[in-house]
Amino acid sequence: MNKSHRGSVKLEDCEIIAHKKYEADQFVLTLASDYISNNTKPGQFVHATVSEKLLMRRPISIMSVNSKENTFDLLYKVVGDGTRELSKRKVGEQISVMGPIGNGFNFDSVKRPIMIGGGVGIPPMVALAQQLNLKTQKPLAIFGSEVEFPFEMEITDKSYPFIENPATMSLLHEWGIDCLLTSNSDFQGVYKGYVTDLARDFFNTLSAEELKEVKIFACGPDMMLKAVKTLASQLNVECELSLEEFMACAIGGCAGCVVEVETETGKSMKRVCVDGPIFDANSIFQ
Amino acid sequence: MNSNLKVNYCGIELNSPIVLLSGCVGFGEEYTRIDGFSNSDVGAVCLKGTTNEPRLGNQPHRIYETPDGMINAIGLQNPGSDFVINDILPTLDKTETKFIINISGSTIEEYGELAKKFDQTDIDAIEINISCPNVKEGGVAFGNDPDMSYRVVEICRQNTTKPLITKLSPNQTDIAYSAQRCIDAGSDGLAVINTLMGMAIDIDSRKPFIGNNQGGLSGPAIKPIALLKTHQVYQVSKKYNVPIIGQGGINSAEDAIEFIIAGATTVGVGTALFYDPLICHKINDGISDYLLRNNIKNISELVGSLQLNDFSSPCDS
Ligand SMILES: Cc1cc2nc3c(=O)[nH]c(=O)nc-3n(C[C@H](O)[C@H](O)[C@H](O)COP(=O)(O)OP(=O)(O)OC[C@H]3O[C@@H](n4cnc5c(N)ncnc54)[C@H](O)[C@@H]3O)c2cc1C
Ligand SMILES: Cc1cc2nc3c(=O)[nH]c(=O)nc-3n(C[C@H](O)[C@H](O)[C@H](O)COP(=O)(O)O)c2cc1C
Ligand code: FES
Repeated sequence: MNKSHRGSVKLEDCEIIAHKKYEADQFVLTLASDYISNNTKPGQFVHATVSEKLLMRRPISIMSVNSKENTFDLLYKVVGDGTRELSKRKVGEQISVMGPIGNGFNFDSVKRPIMIGGGVGIPPMVALAQQLNLKTQKPLAIFGSEVEFPFEMEITDKSYPFIENPATMSLLHEWGIDCLLTSNSDFQGVYKGYVTDLARDFFNTLSAEELKEVKIFACGPDMMLKAVKTLASQLNVECELSLEEFMACAIGGCAGCVVEVETETGKSMKRVCVDGPIFDANSIFQ
Repeated sequence: MNSNLKVNYCGIELNSPIVLLSGCVGFGEEYTRIDGFSNSDVGAVCLKGTTNEPRLGNQPHRIYETPDGMINAIGLQNPGSDFVINDILPTLDKTETKFIINISGSTIEEYGELAKKFDQTDIDAIEINISCPNVKEGGVAFGNDPDMSYRVVEICRQNTTKPLITKLSPNQTDIAYSAQRCIDAGSDGLAVINTLMGMAIDIDSRKPFIGNNQGGLSGPAIKPIALLKTHQVYQVSKKYNVPIIGQGGINSAEDAIEFIIAGATTVGVGTALFYDPLICHKINDGISDYLLRNNIKNISELVGSLQLNDFSSPCDS
């Protein structure tokens, strides 16, 4: 009887250490947890109670961990009642958090991880960036947003054939990871277009050999993920996508959060919460 | 576990009156991922609704939160009875708790076959689901017609000597009559209630949120209905000593005690786990304290102890 899965997820009341508002109703929430800050794999998420007014929890990706301070960050956007309730929570209050949940990305042996995040799909990409080994891996992050980016930015002195002095996410810059931003709105240092336009321009700068070392990781709206999947299959590169679906238990018990997945034995309904949220792009959106 | 929580259900000795409800805890192991959660804190675990053949279930979205509850339309996704018997049942730790299989068929014969198959396993009891609102054939169609319910229970009875529990639908006019017919057909226990049918609409797209358009409503929102149905069914079941698993929105020890007073021998916890995964500890402790406080030695003394007001009128408003 294999019981290795037992006890891997913790349910805790986590203190709110910081709660910062950005443009367009986007928030970064910093929570205290020894366990989550030390046991999270990139791509995993928490299932959090937003307030006493709403029973059901909300799933939110873990964006980054601080294992020195024993805290972790979430980035979320207010889209409805639940996230609005969450945005009202104040520093010092506690919220009930269950996590970390989910399978996480397979990135260890990837030489050129390309991380594509759209909107509130950016957090898992930041989580992935944080765990990369820059001695063996040569990453690039591509983040897209139609509203102002929910993080501190700075202009770099880099130059690419398709953009001079691009703006970047300060946090990734600090970690030594190249990061390009894109939007259809006009922002300084930000490429104009979709994430896939920017990615295509970037891939054009790679040799055939370099392209073979690429694996794409992406999270964002379904439309974006479908475009990323198409790009990956055109270039014949590996690709993992992080999916979202409405959740009740987030622990595999209710089969409420499924997505249709192509497996060796045919079509199957997989649970986004525990079989995912990360899936091989070839197996979904058929 | 406190010894005053021990209870006998259909001849099975349970350590606690809590039964984890079908469809909320997968096939028994899912919640053990959570640190501090243990199947040994509950009397029994009821496994996901199982059909003869594997089912993929409904298209998303399958769940949607509503005031004090949620709607689900999973559509009985399950790997089929053979897989459950050969690959899942042998992996369950039977020392921790008792396990109940929940069976669903699209024909009367399918129920019979399922009862026969599970009769040959080490499962502790069989729950007949004639009240699933989320499948096209079978399900609630059997549960809303007392004569059909009778035939389903009858064929299961002919195929098993294991304790048989029939799960009743609240989506019918006279649940007590239905209970009577199920008992006549040989049901050893009753589960009251399954979800109520409901809908939620996205006013922007003017489409239902649920892929299946409608689904089953569960959670605290349905508790008062579930409690009344339990009381009504108990008026029939007590005559035959047929015990009830009371369920529908149980959220606390107080809720559980209400159901027991109304006539339930055991209490089901489903939706509450989704928002409070470690709630079973609180319910066990709360019931145990209540029994001590009220000088009650065992739960069985509390079952059906409701004292009705004698001036209630047939007209409710
Ligand atoms: C694995 C995972 C990771 C996520 N990570 C993030 C993140 O890092 N940042 C972020 O801003 N958002 C994230 N989301 C989406 C987030 O869960 C939803 O935006 C949120 O649940 C909306 O709740 P609401 O009550 O404000 O919105 P409403 O639209 O009012 O929600 C109504 C119901 O639908 C559900 N729902 C609505 N949209 C979604 C959705 N996209 N995904 C899942 N459930 C939804 C809600 O949980 C709620 O039950 C993630 C979702 C998943 C599944
Ligand atoms: C997501 C979900 C799936 C369910 N699946 C089943 C099922 O397969 N078989 C069944 O008999 N009842 C099923 N039910 C009904 C529950 O077992 C229970 O009767 C009902 O939810 C009421 O209890 P609650 O309010 O505590 O959840 C399901 C309920 C939910 C919420
Ligand atoms: S949300 Fe319950 S199985 Fe994923």
